[in-house]
Amino acid sequence: MSLDKITNPMHVRHWLGDMEADYIYTLGVAGERFFKEIKENGKIMGAKCPRCNIIYVPPRMYCEKCFAKLEGWVDVGTRGVVHTFTVAKIDVDGKKLQKPEIYALIKFEGACGGLIHKIGETTPEKVKIGMKVDAVFKPSFERKASINDIKHFKPAE
Amino acid sequence: MSEVAIVGVGCVGFQPILPELSYKELMYEAAVKAYDDAGVDPRKDIDVFVTCAEDYLEGFSIFDEFVPDQLGAVLRHLFTVSGDGLLGLANAYMLIKTGHFDTVVLEAHSKASDLLTLMDVIAFALDPVLNRPLGGHPYYVAGMEMNRYLHDTCTTVEQCAQVVVKNKKNACGNPYAAYGANITLDQVLCSDMCFYPLKKLEISTPADGCVVMVLASEKVAEKLTDKPVWVKGVGWCTETPNLETRDWSKAVDTRLAAEMAYKTAKIHNPRKEIDLAEVNDLFAYKELQHMEALKLCAYGEAGKLTEEGVTARNGELPVNPSGGLLGMGYGLEASGTEKLLEVVLQLRGEAGRRQVSNVEVGLAHAWRGIPTTTGIAAVLSNVK
Repeated sequence: MSLDKITNPMHVRHWLGDMEADYIYTLGVAGERFFKEIKENGKIMGAKCPRCNIIYVPPRMYCEKCFAKLEGWVDVGTRGVVHTFTVAKIDVDGKKLQKPEIYALIKFEGACGGLIHKIGETTPEKVKIGMKVDAVFKPSFERKASINDIKHFKPAE
Repeated sequence: MSEVAIVGVGCVGFQPILPELSYKELMYEAAVKAYDDAGVDPRKDIDVFVTCAEDYLEGFSIFDEFVPDQLGAVLRHLFTVSGDGLLGLANAYMLIKTGHFDTVVLEAHSKASDLLTLMDVIAFALDPVLNRPLGGHPYYVAGMEMNRYLHDTCTTVEQCAQVVVKNKKNACGNPYAAYGANITLDQVLCSDMCFYPLKKLEISTPADGCVVMVLASEKVAEKLTDKPVWVKGVGWCTETPNLETRDWSKAVDTRLAAEMAYKTAKIHNPRKEIDLAEVNDLFAYKELQHMEALKLCAYGEAGKLTEEGVTARNGELPVNPSGGLLGMGYGLEASGTEKLLEVVLQLRGEAGRRQVSNVEVGLAHAWRGIPTTTGIAAVLSNVK
């Protein structure tokens, strides 16, 4: 019995393969309006369920509680509350990040849901659950109707 | 309606990597062991084969086409469940319950070491428009959930770390475990912070392995074995996939899956009636959160019970005597069958030096990992 065990799969005889898989993801009716408002007006919109009176952020076409079609758009403002957060110290390859990144779920008053985004213009030690944060938008000429049109959220003054 | 029993089990691994075996050979070896254990010939004695796999984890399109030969299932009746092995158990159970089938094979495996970019595949499971453009390691979702869970329940980081100490120690007695270790609470607490408050040693490491089981109806089971393990109930549930609207503190999908399984199994007081539980612990805090969702204790109580040793192998309610995923390794879609294997071995009295004494009813639980909200539970017993 050999005492030398293979511990790196790349040292076994193998065939290296990869999957080429490119997609476009259609935004849909609700997504179209949501990202258009972010891009053109710097507004975060929700969609309201007429039956449950719930405002969904991000907006969608249907209510996940009662299955009704959502009607009516509501501007939920750009100030939210940190529902939870984490400080990521490594990247997707497991390498240490030079600057840790703060990810959070930001909820908006009166709305169900919120946005997953990064928190900037502060240090990890200062971020707390329940703190108020404001959306920081990229300048309008840089916006592409993407979640990254919001640069990050920063602690509210 | 016939009762359903597990009459044979086979396992290869789990190991950090199994470099000498291809995924097909891995499945073949586990299958040979399971058929030998059950005393069946797959070419004539098995009615249906159920395998569990997800294409992106395998590196194949339509992976289900690649599974019959290594299981002895060519030109037989087979389908693949795109989900955890415990969901495969639910399918196998239902097939036999219909009365149309007497013998079903269940298979789930992990060749995680073949997948060079596992975290990219997991990141690819995030919403492509709302979440994926933010980039980053997808386990940030676990860090966020742990933070809110600790905030809402007052569970401490020490209590989470204790889960790691317990499970890795349990794994030392498990020949199927890849990551057994005798470590201290301080070692866990001092390990690298990866996704605050989640630390490196609190994250299960992937492993290679395969579990195959043979299930049978009552009349066939009693002919095949004198140690059948009866499937008393199964349940499954999926919460909203949206990170934005899901519950960040409670595993509500697991709660409803458990209620479904308990109802069939006629379990009214899980804490008293269940003798051992194998609970998903992909991250240390998940074991605690899942114990609460499975009604093994009150919301926010699991950390304290762990600290007091209640969930130790020789405690009042042993949780993850196998070593869990923290000790055995994260077997991707085979994770649930790692749990199931331990419950079967314990209920047969074949768990070696990690055998829990006087066990009659066991619980196996699975969660499909980041970023899913799918929980599956199964109640098993050595008493019909």
